[in-house]
Amino acid sequence: MPKRERLEIIKDILEILKDSRAIKMTPLLRKSNLSSQRFAEYFQELSGKGFITETIDKQGKKVYSLSEKGFRYLEKYKTIIGFIDEFEL
Amino acid sequence: MPPVRMQDVMDQLLSISVGMEILYSFVIILCSLMVYYGTKELYELSNYKGIKYFRLSFLFFAIAYFFRSFIKFLVYFFGVKAVREIPQFIAPLTLFVFIYASSMAVFYLFYSVVCKKWENKSYAFHIFAVVISIIILLSDDAAWLYLGINIVLFFLLAIGICIMHRNKKENKKNRFFIVYILLFAFWLLNVVDILLPTIIGTYQLTVYLISLGIFMLILFKVLKRAG
Repeated sequence: MPKRERLEIIKDILEILKDSRAIKMTPLLRKSNLSSQRFAEYFQELSGKGFITETIDKQGKKVYSLSEKGFRYLEKYKTIIGFIDEFEL
Repeated sequence: MPPVRMQDVMDQLLSISVGMEILYSFVIILCSLMVYYGTKELYELSNYKGIKYFRLSFLFFAIAYFFRSFIKFLVYFFGVKAVREIPQFIAPLTLFVFIYASSMAVFYLFYSVVCKKWENKSYAFHIFAVVISIIILLSDDAAWLYLGINIVLFFLLAIGICIMHRNKKENKKNRFFIVYILLFAFWLLNVVDILLPTIIGTYQLTVYLISLGIFMLILFKVLKRAG
């Protein structure tokens, strides 16, 4: 399987969040198919950019969901990839 | 019918020429700024370096073309043949900004294509651009020297872009690198037009039209892709 590129990894993480609506950290890490170190880097980046929303569930645990900006990224993902390919960037 | 005076004809030609310059620069600056602002959201969402330097390149093109038209205006205003003959301090300052911005524009366009392989070297381009600008300002025969530097740069950048294109995966290849090379070539001719206007001479309109065509093609592609 070819190595996933950064933008594709971000898309995959955001799609997991979109499909799950609200997900805890451990299943998100497992589903993302990344090492915990790389996952932590991506998670920090996505939280910092406002792609992920953190809330507390009924059991008082932290759960994560996709923010408006995260949805926008998924909407624009194909456009971004198309742009990069078109201009050979 | 009153006789046509040579001075009137010359004045009329000059005003047409100034008008053409203003229109040409305005369209190029508008295209460049539309590319810059049209790709803002794509960059903000992706944080992709290639898009960052592609956008910045067009911002520098807009700045360079603004100062290019300002130099042309100064040349007309002072009634001289070349920018070096302008008496005020404003000439070297404008020339410095023009050379710096134009060098950065071509460097960043090149870097947007190669940044995947050659990371965190963007500061080197600023140093190069400042050094080139200082050399030109301090040199006696600046026009020919700058032309020489630009020809060397053109070949280096064109070869770099061709190598990057050849190394791309087959499914990611397209022919857009040719547009970059044409953009570099016609940028070079625009520089020649400022520093050694006699070389371009009667081909000026052709150079302008092709340059406009290249910028409009890029803008069209950007708007089509980025929405």
